[in-house]
Amino acid sequence: MIVETDGMTDTLERARVSGQSRGEVIREICRHLVPFQTGERPITGDTVIAKDLTIDSLAIMDMVMELEDHFDISIPMNVVAEIHTVDQLADTIQKLCARR
Amino acid sequence: MKPLPTRNSTLPLHRAGFASVPAMLDYAAKGETGVTFYNAKGEQLSALPWREVRDRAQVVARKLIGAGFARGERILITADTWPGFFDSFFGAQYAGLLPVPVSIPVGIGGKDAYLDQLRRQFAASGAVAAVGLDDLAGYLADAAREFPAIRLHGGMDALHALPEKPVDLRPLGADELCYIQFSSGSTRHPHGVQITQRALMANLAGMVGPAGLDVVEGDRAISWLPLYHDMGLIGFLMGPLASQLSIDYLTPRDFARRPMQWLNLISRNRSTISYSPSFGYDLAVRRGAAQVPPDLDLRCWRHAGIGGDMVRADVLERFAATFAPFGFDSTAFIPSYGMAEVCLAITFCPHDTGVRTDAVDRTALAEAQRAVPAADPNDQSRARRFVICGRVLPGHRLEVRGPDGAVLADRAVGRIFVSGPSIMPGYYGEPEASREVLVDGWLDTGDLGYTLDGEIVVTGRAKDLIIVNGRNVWPQDIEWAVEAKRVVKNGDAAAFSIDTGEGERVVVAVLARVSGEQGRSDLARDVAGAVREAIAVDCDVVLVPPTLGLPTTSSGKLSRARTKANYLAGLYAPKPEAA
Repeated sequence: MIVETDGMTDTLERARVSGQSRGEVIREICRHLVPFQTGERPITGDTVIAKDLTIDSLAIMDMVMELEDHFDISIPMNVVAEIHTVDQLADTIQKLCARR
Repeated sequence: MKPLPTRNSTLPLHRAGFASVPAMLDYAAKGETGVTFYNAKGEQLSALPWREVRDRAQVVARKLIGAGFARGERILITADTWPGFFDSFFGAQYAGLLPVPVSIPVGIGGKDAYLDQLRRQFAASGAVAAVGLDDLAGYLADAAREFPAIRLHGGMDALHALPEKPVDLRPLGADELCYIQFSSGSTRHPHGVQITQRALMANLAGMVGPAGLDVVEGDRAISWLPLYHDMGLIGFLMGPLASQLSIDYLTPRDFARRPMQWLNLISRNRSTISYSPSFGYDLAVRRGAAQVPPDLDLRCWRHAGIGGDMVRADVLERFAATFAPFGFDSTAFIPSYGMAEVCLAITFCPHDTGVRTDAVDRTALAEAQRAVPAADPNDQSRARRFVICGRVLPGHRLEVRGPDGAVLADRAVGRIFVSGPSIMPGYYGEPEASREVLVDGWLDTGDLGYTLDGEIVVTGRAKDLIIVNGRNVWPQDIEWAVEAKRVVKNGDAAAFSIDTGEGERVVVAVLARVSGEQGRSDLARDVAGAVREAIAVDCDVVLVPPTLGLPTTSSGKLSRARTKANYLAGLYAPKPEAA
């Protein structure tokens, strides 16, 4: 019997499937983005990477490359072109990790 | 897997002189050389001898002909560096269709801009088919929706799914077009340069011949240049093909990620010929220098060409100093000059001289449009150094003309015109735009420069020229002044002028990689200070959020015209602070 608690099951399930917890993925993304934070606004899942931060296209490319290396995945260019927010980037990484 | 051989065992090296692209490929297919693809780790992905390139292309051609495509129709191809590009580009050549190579999307969130660009390219080329990377099949379908003339679109599967019919090939011949090249400066209103087979053959003859790279037995090429750019496609696909060389490829994306792989592969495969714009050499120094393998050996690299942007002596000197301990010979540098409107190449520097510069007096240059040798070449406040870019190819002519059209003497700065067999017949479907640049068999390059003992020195683009109080100021000078002071990075500044009614006012747009009011006002002050110090003009500084970026042309060059248009449209609000 599964007891629904605070979404923990969901998180654990995702972690099991993907091998990467959401938290870990978000942490890794934020590690790259923090230097480009503007003012006091925190980076959240809704942060639009190319708009809400002071990051330029070359630095974005670097970040994507390093994330790909870190998680040993390859994000197809059409998928990259449709990513806007931190959440979308995290979703993509988790999905690709699961398929790995 | 081993890379393809550098030499053909029996096939004699034949430097250009072919009638057409299909004729070049038919000849190269008799040997063992070909193209090898590498990934960012320097691992070999696949290798296609020219023979296999031809065989695969002929299969594609029979499918295209069998599907009913008519001679001369256009097929758009996303020109990533992968075997599918070779299948479709050369397949079109054997089917009598005209390829239209286009770029691929880059970066996060770039989908909409890319779709817009595709639609403009569909409209400009009147394409009836569009193929590309499987990943981009959805984008091609989206963009093609408004174009009922497009009868086939998708990944390579779409092409391969067509039945191969027993039809005769109908290769493009010597009197026909070869492909349509979208030229630089054409992001918004793309101009498709018509590359004819004849002009291409003439340009290739110059490129691989004695006045160009003087290709010899044992040469091996390597390139990371995009195949949607003339320097990538003509310089580093057609060039090696025209002389049956093997060529090794990295994608532009992988080069940007791991610039050292470019040099590693040169070292490993003993490559002899490679080109890059100045910024590629810069990238290799800035991002590669920290990870140079101790056994890197660049002694084999005999032609390190520079083209595609203003050749920058300081960048090349840094590259040479960084890699000299690894056998890089600075006399291997070959500054050159060209553009898609002449296929690719106009001038090459002589061999084994390296980068030669001419230091001229800034005042005479600005006020009298004369390149007078500087009294003290090392005094940067009074001397401006330009790279000498060599002689025009045999069979071609180059003139520097004044405002009245008269040919100018050495050291007088004017507009560069060229004529000869490499010149385009015009832009595809744009007689008016063609007439603007083609006059009496001469091409107005739109560039400024001066001659020096039969060689050309390019000083900048005519249309970007800023005139302040009757004084000519090159926007590059302003940008470099800001960059030289390390106020901002290379490529982060764009200078232009606006008409105030009383004269021109210089505006410098810079990417503001700082946060906070203090940081922003400090940056604006430093930029204005650097410009005032180096160029002695006052300027307005406008801070552009890096997220917005500075606009570039399709070939990645800074577009000052679009920066200016954006500025005037108020895109860079809040209003610039007066410096």
